[in-house]
Amino acid sequence: MMLERNMTASPSRTAKVAEDHLVLSEVGMTFGTADVIPSLSLAVRRGEMVAFLGPSGCGKTTTLRMIAGLIAPSRGRISVGWRDITRLPVHERDMGLVFQSYALFPHMTVSQNVAFGLEMRGIAKREIRVRVETALEMVQLGHLSDRKPRALSGGQQQRVALARALVVEPSILLLDEPLSNLDAKLRDEMRVQIRSLQQQSGITAVFVTHDQVEALSMCDRIVVMRGGHIEQFGTPGEIYEHPATPFVASFVGRTNRLSGVVEPSGRLAAAGQGLLAEGALPVGQVQIMMRPHRVALLAAHEHVPPGHNALRGRLTGITFVGDLIQANVRVGEDEITVEQPTRRSTALPLMGAEVTVSWEAGDTMVFAGGAT
Amino acid sequence: MTTAIALTRSRRRFSDHQVAIALLLPIALINVVGFMLPIFNLARFSFNRATTGGGIENVLTLENWTGLLRDPFYLELILNSIWISLGVTLCALVLSYPIALYLHRSSGTWRTFLTVLVISPLLTSAVVRTYGWIAILSDEGPVVGAIKSVGLTPPPLMFNINGVFIGLTEILMPYMILALMAGFGRLDPKVEEAARTLGATPWQCFRRVILPLTAPGIALGCLLCFVLAVSSFITPKLMGGGRVFLLATEIYDQAIVTLNWPLASTLSILVLIIFGAALVAYSAVLKRLD
Repeated sequence: MMLERNMTASPSRTAKVAEDHLVLSEVGMTFGTADVIPSLSLAVRRGEMVAFLGPSGCGKTTTLRMIAGLIAPSRGRISVGWRDITRLPVHERDMGLVFQSYALFPHMTVSQNVAFGLEMRGIAKREIRVRVETALEMVQLGHLSDRKPRALSGGQQQRVALARALVVEPSILLLDEPLSNLDAKLRDEMRVQIRSLQQQSGITAVFVTHDQVEALSMCDRIVVMRGGHIEQFGTPGEIYEHPATPFVASFVGRTNRLSGVVEPSGRLAAAGQGLLAEGALPVGQVQIMMRPHRVALLAAHEHVPPGHNALRGRLTGITFVGDLIQANVRVGEDEITVEQPTRRSTALPLMGAEVTVSWEAGDTMVFAGGAT
Repeated sequence: MTTAIALTRSRRRFSDHQVAIALLLPIALINVVGFMLPIFNLARFSFNRATTGGGIENVLTLENWTGLLRDPFYLELILNSIWISLGVTLCALVLSYPIALYLHRSSGTWRTFLTVLVISPLLTSAVVRTYGWIAILSDEGPVVGAIKSVGLTPPPLMFNINGVFIGLTEILMPYMILALMAGFGRLDPKVEEAARTLGATPWQCFRRVILPLTAPGIALGCLLCFVLAVSSFITPKLMGGGRVFLLATEIYDQAIVTLNWPLASTLSILVLIIFGAALVAYSAVLKRLD
């Protein structure tokens, strides 16, 4: 079922041929008595970069290690370009893996590290030298080729690791939280660099991360995972604008959460006040969500444009952060956070004042079931 | 308030340097009296002349040293000792390496349990363990019995070089395992995984990554085992049955049986020189590894 949905999803931003390259069919992993991954199916298209996004323990790294062949799945099938690789040993899989901890060979120089994969493939010495040089130039480290890894900074080490993985021109590039050990500024640089290298080489890539910003900004599509199964598989836009589950909505981007109810008549209400939403609504207890920056803070009796929702509440907190105003508004039992860009004329409402929060009907996300 | 003043005053009275010297002085004295002086004495004996009846004639002569190097019996004994020690070290290394690697990779209670198992032989004296080996390897022992039961003629295992070799290897293995594990710090499983994903077969991964990264541990273990093997006495004495002549047993014979102390001293200093050479080789290996 999951597979069908992927096929009909919108085409990738970069892939010229939307052909499935890496396919996982009903792959499962059991450690002892624990079903770490019950059953997982997905298809990554040739040339696209797909993020496995989820909190720690969601099975994203386990899945990556199964693709790399470092652990064997308990069941299911993994194939690359329709060739079944489920039982293929690691060294025959032709995949490039970049680790969070870099995992460079500490006893080898930078160029020896990069040359390793080529030597294992029995490539001629002269060609190795040329390709290592090219790969190191690609990550701007040609001048450090004779250094040992320990003489390099974290960012440089990760670039060596990237060159080492790419120089062998693997069929698939696997990245296991490659940016998590870097500081914020370096992380931004590396994000751009990894993405542009991946697009230049047109390599199919899987990017494991727990950071939604990395997933949203770098990848063509995102697999949101939780507890060993896929919550949603879609483009960054789909994941952010049309989250399939409350978990996706709150894990990717920030959300406000209101408990509400859909009456049998189809009327949606929260804290006794009626609301508008698009699409079909599930009858019964629901969770209503919307993004803080899509909500506007209005005075109690200000005009609300048509097609917008309005909820009356009481202002319980307000913070001026220069380019933003963050306000907390209590609506019934719930609290809504509002984020609004400031204008010169913005007059801050008083604490405890009666206010109205307002947002477009289309920004309302409704999920069946009560708050958990 | 008063204590604080007293503290600052006492700190001023003795500098850090003086405190360090005061703390090191006792052990330095014990070492000088208990180790350096006897060694010096031993070195001096090796240039004295032995007289009949265990006496030492206080003259300065090189005849112990020249005699040693001219006597084919002693040359063979020295070379034998070195070769056997190197062989035992190599065997202990080959047998201990997989155990150390497995221990390094295991974790939790299982690791603790196995480590205790590895160390436990050290809690028994080498004499007891050697007698254990004598029981196992003797002509009526289980090993000979097992070989005979499949219709083969067992080689003589006891009271010759074979028994010494087997016994020494087993007795030195715990030291080798501990030294190897101490040197395995740089071995990160992620690095092995990186090698495997880059196309290295298990053997290539071992040869190109695991072995170089564990080399410091190998060097340390070999140094330790070699030194212990060269100076081992009880096992060669008991398991050799008086037919295996090694440096340590010969020193014992010269000092206790023949009462030729100058010759015993010369052999002892020779053992020290061999240790020095092993240490130099170890440092050279470490330097090359870095």
